[in-house]
Amino acid sequence: MQKKPWLWGLVLVLMISVASGCSGNGTQKGSDQTEGSQGGDGAKGAVELSFWYGWTGPEAAALEKIIAKWNAANPDIKVKGLSQSDYQKQLTAITGGNPPDIASNFGQDVVPWGERGAMMPLDDYIKKDGVDLSDYIAAALSSSQANGKTYALPIAMHTTMLFYNKDLLKEAGLDGPPQTISQLKEYITKLSVKENGGRLQRLGLWPGVDAFTFTNAFGGSYYDANAKQVTPDNAGVKSAINLAKGIWDQFGSEELDRFASGLGQYMSAQNPFFTGRYAMTIDGEWLPTFIKQFAPNLNYGIAPIPYDDANPNLKNPGNVTTSVFYIPKGVKNPDASWNFLKWLMEPAQMGEFTAALGNLPTRTSLISDPIYKDVPGFQEFLTYSQSPNLHSFPATSFANEYMTEFSDQYNAILRGKIGIDEGLKKVKDKIQPLVK
Amino acid sequence: MKPLAERTGYTRRQWHYFWLGLLFASPWIIGFLVFTVYPFFSSLYFSLTAYDLFNPPQWVGLDNYKQIMSDERFYKSINNTLFMAFISVPISLASSLVIALMLNFKVKGINFYRTIFYLPAVIPVVASALLWTWMLNPDFGLINMFLRAVGLPDPAWLMDPRYTKPSLILMGLWGSGAGALIFLAALQGVPQQYYEAAQVDGANGWHRFWRITIPALSPIILFQLIMGLIGAFQIFTESYILAGGKSVSGSIGGPDQSLLFYAVNLYQEAFMNLKMGYASALAWILFIIVMAITLVLLKTSRRWVYYGGE
Repeated sequence: MQKKPWLWGLVLVLMISVASGCSGNGTQKGSDQTEGSQGGDGAKGAVELSFWYGWTGPEAAALEKIIAKWNAANPDIKVKGLSQSDYQKQLTAITGGNPPDIASNFGQDVVPWGERGAMMPLDDYIKKDGVDLSDYIAAALSSSQANGKTYALPIAMHTTMLFYNKDLLKEAGLDGPPQTISQLKEYITKLSVKENGGRLQRLGLWPGVDAFTFTNAFGGSYYDANAKQVTPDNAGVKSAINLAKGIWDQFGSEELDRFASGLGQYMSAQNPFFTGRYAMTIDGEWLPTFIKQFAPNLNYGIAPIPYDDANPNLKNPGNVTTSVFYIPKGVKNPDASWNFLKWLMEPAQMGEFTAALGNLPTRTSLISDPIYKDVPGFQEFLTYSQSPNLHSFPATSFANEYMTEFSDQYNAILRGKIGIDEGLKKVKDKIQPLVK
Repeated sequence: MKPLAERTGYTRRQWHYFWLGLLFASPWIIGFLVFTVYPFFSSLYFSLTAYDLFNPPQWVGLDNYKQIMSDERFYKSINNTLFMAFISVPISLASSLVIALMLNFKVKGINFYRTIFYLPAVIPVVASALLWTWMLNPDFGLINMFLRAVGLPDPAWLMDPRYTKPSLILMGLWGSGAGALIFLAALQGVPQQYYEAAQVDGANGWHRFWRITIPALSPIILFQLIMGLIGAFQIFTESYILAGGKSVSGSIGGPDQSLLFYAVNLYQEAFMNLKMGYASALAWILFIIVMAITLVLLKTSRRWVYYGGE
């Protein structure tokens, strides 16, 4: 007992030495850095920008080629790319006060991060340099904007269409893809095959995937920005869920689970659409590239998402997600970051990048660009991306929680664990308090 | 003031060694303070705040804890985690004991068997989880091929919410070799004369197992039980891999959230929803639960754990 005060004294001394040790290190590192960049200054005052992007492999190589082009033309701003697909590292770097100068992310993270102050609003730059935002596809741009601020610019977008297996449709005596929702239901019934033992062998369309796409077919939306109300109980959302639930109940959870667990990997020759276990599927513009690679003999077609019979004005509906570039909060040289970002978003670079990746461009002026003529299946998607009925999930600071909660309840509804009204009310009760 | 040595009753020399010892231990002490003590208390502080990483934490008192009490995902994750803790841990404990007993036989090539059973323990969790997704494939996986061959039902392991957790338990059994190794070491420390004396008294194998082997192993059982429970409460990687990582919809809990474990939920709140304060509160509740279970085990262990020295 007598020894205790000494121990505490010791702890204190250690803590102080640790604290001072840390700060000592910090300053040293700081001065090292300035020295480093001064050394770089020797090469005619060049600024070095670090650029973190989430792509890897051949996609990263395509981006590096574009970066090299910039570096060759701009000796005063040298950009160094780093493939960094762990987005958590961006969080750590930004909070740690040592962020990359430009970084990529997914559209759904932009407003949650931006409104919390992790991304720099770009509006002043956009105004100053006269960037024409009206050239961007509205659904894509909207995923980076909230409350009058633009936190990032979308380099590429994704949307989905209906893929159908021509051979299987023909076999079932069906001529061409379904146009309307009621035709879609008919097709699913005709195309699904059970073997003698009652086990599902082929499915017309997997029911549980995408409520967001069909919500747009029924004119639904998830958020009323004017009233500041989340609207998961919207009639359009409900219709989308009812459509999926109808297909689900046709087969039942047990049968579908069994069927699903026997399906092959998505990015392989065993993809269920490639092997004919799905007769139709709703998938993105990257799928034709995969088909070319994994199932070159597949006889398939690409068609618009079927529209609601009662709402022919909502033809060509779809859900849009984006990949974006942004400038993190706390960068040392935002002007240089912006210069590079602006250049990267110019049609020439965006075209080169998206064509290499097989992603859709977000600028209307690129739609008829010949650079895409060799990308399989792209003409359909490029035309489709012009549809006014494409929307992205409403960009809000609580978008991630909203999507998670919605997906959870959507799943529970499909599985019959909860009624549709009750499930959607739960979503609303949980998310509405997050609206500020 | 009297010299230090006189005031404390220690000699100068003893003090000298004391400081010297501390000096040598200081890298660990500093590391402990910086990387354990400091994060420990700061997470307690953050748990009482709303903190999104980018803005300064806002003091909210016990709000996070109150909110957790009405959070459906919290209860779901607790249920899933408790299932793993109280079903999986005893099962894998029993299986590693059985393996250890088998590996304790003196047969030819025993070292080979010991290696084989221990091997899975050195394979990274990610790799073994990927391997098991193949084994558990309902159509062409090894497990169901066997089940079909003997006429048993062949479930859709990783997609049917009723079977996802049993799949994980099955995976865990494969890795029982690590626990078996510890049991094996303890088994070989049981004095042979006990068995010989019992045999003289006419005890059969069953008696010898329950009356000698189990009591002799009880400290190890307690240790493995506690470590297993702590591990079960932190299960993350297996679920993250088997549930397909982060899906497009943003949900990472597997079919019908049957693999939404405590750590998975915590990860999602912290790094996807950017609710660090809330996640810190979740972490503290986990800490309290694990602490309570460990204390209860240690308390009741006096009745069933025998230490050789006592």
